[in-house]
Amino acid sequence: MSDQYYFDHAASAPRRDEVTAAMEPWMHGVVGNPSGTHRAARAARRAVEEARDEVAEFVGAKPGGVIFTGGGTESCHLAIAGVTHHHRRTHEKSVIVTSRIEHNAVLDAAEMMARDFDDVTVRYVDVDEEGVVDLDSLSRALDNDVAIVSIMTVNNETGICQPLDGVSSLANAVPGAVPTHTDAVAAAPWLYLPMLTASIDMISLCAHKIGGPVNSGALIVRNDVALDAMVPGGGQERGHRGGTVDVAACVGLATAARITARELETTNDRVAEYQLRLTASLAFLPGCRITAPGASKVPGTVHVTFDGIASDELLFLLDQEGVCASAASSCSSGAGVSSHVLAAMGVTPERARGSLRLSMGAETTSQEVDDVIGILSAVVYRLTTSA
Amino acid sequence: MSGGVDSSVAAGLLIEAGHDVVGATLKLWGGVSDSGCCSVADVDDARRVAQMLGIDHHVFNYTEEFERYVVEPFVRDHAAGRSPNPCIECNRHIKFDLLFERAHRLGFDAVATGHHAQVLERDGRHHLIRGADDQKDQSYVLGYLREEQLAVLMLPIGDMRKSEVRVHAERLGLRTWDKPDSQDVCFIEASRGREVFLRQRIAFTPATIIDVASGEEVGATGAAELMTVGQRRGVLPGRDGAKRYVSKVDIGERRVEVGRLDDVLITTIHLDADSLTFAHEPLADGSPVLAQWSAHGAAQAGTLRWTGAWSIALDAPARPVAPGQSVVLYRVNEPAIVEGAAIVTLP
Repeated sequence: MSDQYYFDHAASAPRRDEVTAAMEPWMHGVVGNPSGTHRAARAARRAVEEARDEVAEFVGAKPGGVIFTGGGTESCHLAIAGVTHHHRRTHEKSVIVTSRIEHNAVLDAAEMMARDFDDVTVRYVDVDEEGVVDLDSLSRALDNDVAIVSIMTVNNETGICQPLDGVSSLANAVPGAVPTHTDAVAAAPWLYLPMLTASIDMISLCAHKIGGPVNSGALIVRNDVALDAMVPGGGQERGHRGGTVDVAACVGLATAARITARELETTNDRVAEYQLRLTASLAFLPGCRITAPGASKVPGTVHVTFDGIASDELLFLLDQEGVCASAASSCSSGAGVSSHVLAAMGVTPERARGSLRLSMGAETTSQEVDDVIGILSAVVYRLTTSA
Repeated sequence: MSGGVDSSVAAGLLIEAGHDVVGATLKLWGGVSDSGCCSVADVDDARRVAQMLGIDHHVFNYTEEFERYVVEPFVRDHAAGRSPNPCIECNRHIKFDLLFERAHRLGFDAVATGHHAQVLERDGRHHLIRGADDQKDQSYVLGYLREEQLAVLMLPIGDMRKSEVRVHAERLGLRTWDKPDSQDVCFIEASRGREVFLRQRIAFTPATIIDVASGEEVGATGAAELMTVGQRRGVLPGRDGAKRYVSKVDIGERRVEVGRLDDVLITTIHLDADSLTFAHEPLADGSPVLAQWSAHGAAQAGTLRWTGAWSIALDAPARPVAPGQSVVLYRVNEPAIVEGAAIVTLP
């Protein structure tokens, strides 16, 4: 038995050594400002542009569309607020269409726009009880006033995959075509984005979910969708994001993307087997219900609920045994909060209180999976019998 | 742990005494707060204190239970013309009920808090007694604790004066967490008050204000729910110039009764039988008690009565006590010992 079992990759994945090594030259001594003209600046600029090429390749886009940002939240915010601001200048009304299960990066950006501007409204698309965006609901939400449609590729709490093809078909069917954005942060470790997001206009990525550094991400824009900068500053990133470009952060994201793409198939196969084993074992525990058993999910996430058990207690005892896991929704204080994702799926608050998300990644081993099954069984048994 | 000096020192002293300690902060109120004990900033302070003390820290979310056991009854009571004490309800239902159960399930031997009160063990029984600092004594808000809870409760700073607690805080290197004591109800913004909070949840009832002695109408209020039995502030004096006290709030009749102190003094406090709780076996009809009905009020001598319903016959007349408030019963011959508590009701 090891002293720590890290089953919270969906919160933050372990930093890859290869990433740290690639970033290292850009973390001490002279690091040129990529906007400059001398040799140190040129070296830095070259590293940034090579990183841009790799990130573009990771999602199957042109390098010119890659905007480096400070992470997934900023990327989503730039897409939602940037496109809506641009839309407002030429339209009387601007509607943001998004789903009820998006990450707060998207939901709060949309709500902020609606709060601050009377001409902006948000329309929410429902999900079915399997946690999948309802395309009929989306279809009803679309009209000529819509500035942007934002539907995530994979839900971060449940790991459930969303029907992006349907999203882009419906958005393109609106006269003039509605720009589409997808938060691909939870999908990036698992899915082949060039194919999956081919018809989506904007893709948000974040480095630390794929083994890169935190505070590093990108918004990748296809098809020259127009958007305003949120921080114009010095006009960096083709005017989309001011501020000196962080070379190490860009290199870190690019390296993490390269490793992820390289290992995608083998990691998927291996972890899919773990997912099956975990799900099958957990299903036998008292009170355990698999969340959306019929839905298509990425291999790394196992989301379940336990009737009659509070997540707080489950996570506490798991932590005592060295298992790092999550209830998948928490507020800034660190307290677990009821999940808007589960609520949108029609999961009752009582059931949602017993949520557990175990999320795995490239580093997870077969032995760890077996150990965690054993620990979890003991903990659940203890909480069920002492209630 | 609130991040304040009392709970921080309590944790520090337990660690020094060799206990295996885990810090916990309860997230209770999900809404806006500018005071009290459950803001994000307080949780952050508590976490930082735990880090400095070298112990694990967990945040437990009880917002739903807090809403159900504290906030909703608070609103319901006001709507019925009662004046509840939400801090007591929080202690009763959340801290010393749900948290104790959780601690037991998670394998802890005891729960400690930074309250200014003490647990005295004598002849195999545990008694809640007043804190050593009579200015800070919090035994009143812990009045509903029973033997089984007291047996696993540790109150490490209860035998200290506040100044001693601060000395320990400095010695433990915690002096930067010298926060002011929280005084207010945590879910009510001090800057906006009870009225603003309640208005979001209930419609206020206009009522006429009647002088109880003359039967004369002496005024009106737009919100009878905000009038508290016993209150003098905000009540106009009568034509004689004497101060008037609220003696009764009747929401259904849209009527608030006031009177001169002499007219409204009471000699009996009626107790709600369901809430009546004793630390050990119940006191019998006729037992002498010391009754205290506010956090820092003086305890008044009286006799516990059972006449088909529970009440306290006071030795001396007192200002009226608002229904919904709690009365904590202290022992007559050992006036620091808590015997039990109950909620005040109408006859």
